[in-house]
Amino acid sequence: MDSAVSLRNLVKTFGTHRAVDGVSLEIPRGIIFGLIGPNGAGKTTTIRMILDIIRPDSGEVVVLGTPSGEQVKARVGYLPEERGLYRKTKVLEMLEYQGSLRGASPAVARKEASAWLDRLELADWKARKVEDLSKGMQQKVQFIGAVLGKPELLILDEPFSGLDPVNQNTFKDLMLELNRNGASIIFSTHQMDTAEKLCKEIALINMGKIVLNGSLSQIKSRFGKNSVMVEFDGDGAFLQTLPGVARVDDYGRYREVRLQDGADPQALLRAAVERVTVRRFEIMEPTLHNIFIEKVGGHATHA
Amino acid sequence: MHKLMMVIRREYLERVRKRSFWLGTMLLPLLLLGLVLVQVLLTDVESGKVRTIVLVDATGKLSESFQLKLAEEKTKEGKPAYRVEVVAPEGGVEATRKRLEPRVLSGEVFGILTVGDKLESDANFNFYARSVGNIFAQKALQRALKEAVVGVRLEQSHLNVSSEELNKLLAPVELESFEIKEQGNARKRGFDEAYLGTFAFVMILYMALLLYGVAVMRGILEEKSNRIMEVLLGSLTPDQLMTGKILGIGLVGLTQMAIYAVTVGVLRVYAGLAVPQASWIGALESISASKLAYFFVFFILGYFLYTSLFAAVGAVCNSEQEAQNLQTPLIMCLVIPMVLTFFFVTNPDSPAAVVASMIPLFAPMVMFMRITVLTPPFWQIALSIGLLLVTNYIFFRAVGRVFRIGILMYGKRPTVPEILKWARG
Repeated sequence: MDSAVSLRNLVKTFGTHRAVDGVSLEIPRGIIFGLIGPNGAGKTTTIRMILDIIRPDSGEVVVLGTPSGEQVKARVGYLPEERGLYRKTKVLEMLEYQGSLRGASPAVARKEASAWLDRLELADWKARKVEDLSKGMQQKVQFIGAVLGKPELLILDEPFSGLDPVNQNTFKDLMLELNRNGASIIFSTHQMDTAEKLCKEIALINMGKIVLNGSLSQIKSRFGKNSVMVEFDGDGAFLQTLPGVARVDDYGRYREVRLQDGADPQALLRAAVERVTVRRFEIMEPTLHNIFIEKVGGHATHA
Repeated sequence: MHKLMMVIRREYLERVRKRSFWLGTMLLPLLLLGLVLVQVLLTDVESGKVRTIVLVDATGKLSESFQLKLAEEKTKEGKPAYRVEVVAPEGGVEATRKRLEPRVLSGEVFGILTVGDKLESDANFNFYARSVGNIFAQKALQRALKEAVVGVRLEQSHLNVSSEELNKLLAPVELESFEIKEQGNARKRGFDEAYLGTFAFVMILYMALLLYGVAVMRGILEEKSNRIMEVLLGSLTPDQLMTGKILGIGLVGLTQMAIYAVTVGVLRVYAGLAVPQASWIGALESISASKLAYFFVFFILGYFLYTSLFAAVGAVCNSEQEAQNLQTPLIMCLVIPMVLTFFFVTNPDSPAAVVASMIPLFAPMVMFMRITVLTPPFWQIALSIGLLLVTNYIFFRAVGRVFRIGILMYGKRPTVPEILKWARG
């Protein structure tokens, strides 16, 4: 089966800055795929090249089995990170326009948009101007704009940034539903917990390069079960000095300790019990957050 | 194609649905219509009246021939337009006039014409009326008086001319202007009228190119500042977006022009029937079908030229303030031919005019001006249009490249050399 998106050796340079530096990636169909990485890593540039909004300096982009270009755009829904609406336009007209740009006739697009607005509790706002809507409502309208026309592939660039928890939940449920109904979804984020909850596969981009790629479970098992969560009363400074400890992340209420390969968690527990009152001790998979920190480390570029 | 149509549809409907579009569009024709109606009504009322003129003639020699000449002025119904009452200057011309003034103020008498006794002097003839703004009446009086006075002067010169011969000598010389068309049939037309018609057209052309250019630029700036650009680019190519926008707004312009053209047509027919002698009829009549056709040709060519440049300005800027500097040269290119209209219309064949009508940025306005006042050689028109087409093509391609890069750039505005580098691709 062919991929939803297949990138081969993609390079894009802005002036002297190599935004994307030889990215090759296969994104399978039918899954939720996470494109993660720090700000300025090249996520948005990669997405723009997938959608033929900007052209790569070199390399190849194949989307849904065809070389990316104008034709394939009708089959792809896109919610950019920088998103907005015509402020003076009526909500339904705005969506009718967006739907019609995916190839539907204005009447068909209008009907579909209307159904979505009913579903997301915006029925009373159809004839109102966009500028009358609250920010949360505008975000819903933007989301509808991206999913009109039942796209086979949905690309969401930082879909959750700036959303309130209620809308975050709505969007998450919609993404899962669309995915169940057959849409492939690519979304980019720098929020690791969201990616961890939703994605089957991920690619981690840093400084324009793919640092890590594969299914979440594979990646986690590759990093091994050598993380320990310790909750205790007392001074935890000693943890860093114990033999076999690679790094310690202090979360305030608890600490996450990453062990060196071959180190024994039981030895750590014994050492801890001698010094502080341990309330909770758990051997666990490393979080995506920790993998991210470890891979990107201090090298993250900040745009 | 479907997507392009959808962009055109939106850009067109978005603007045409606005109340301000209709207000703006109707204002000019309504103004024109009002102006014509008022004049028609006034002329109707005025031309039916018989006016009484009191002649106070110190020489006592003018009254007969003056009355004779003035009798040639007719009202619409064909009756004499003036009734002349001769009053002897008892106690001097001034005193007589003062005595008569109450009759003028009461409206019974239209005006008092006084003639002193020195027929050779310039300052000898005066006209007193409540309003001296009626040019037609003054011209008629002046003409009649002049012929009468010249007759008397000739008699006094002892040249011994019979009154019959005198009439022949005094037969008026009216200068009528004709315009030579390519078909060879000359048409009567005065310079004022040609100038008036051309100036109105040039103003419309200037306003349209400027307003619609700025509209395209604003539209793009709005899409950038509202962050809607990238949403649209998810479905459209930059070329589709730019082309759709330019064509959509262009159709709005054509709609407006069509409304104007219809108004002018209606006015021509109506005014031609109602008041055939008024001077502004000539201005309307100078708008022939071929001129209208040329107007649309140059409007469309100029429109694409300027809107694509304005689109580039919109694409590389982030706000209207930022765009101010870059759009100034464009506006200057439109203003220069406009302020030089008088020069180009009076010297349509001068080398400066010919050259200006070949420079694409000036050509739409200058070539059109030249066409309205004379018929330039066909090769010049063809060359001008050809150069415009080529330039349009080159600009459209170059601007497309600038647009593609510019619309996704936020932050610092690129410098002119940078923009030119993008344009070369």
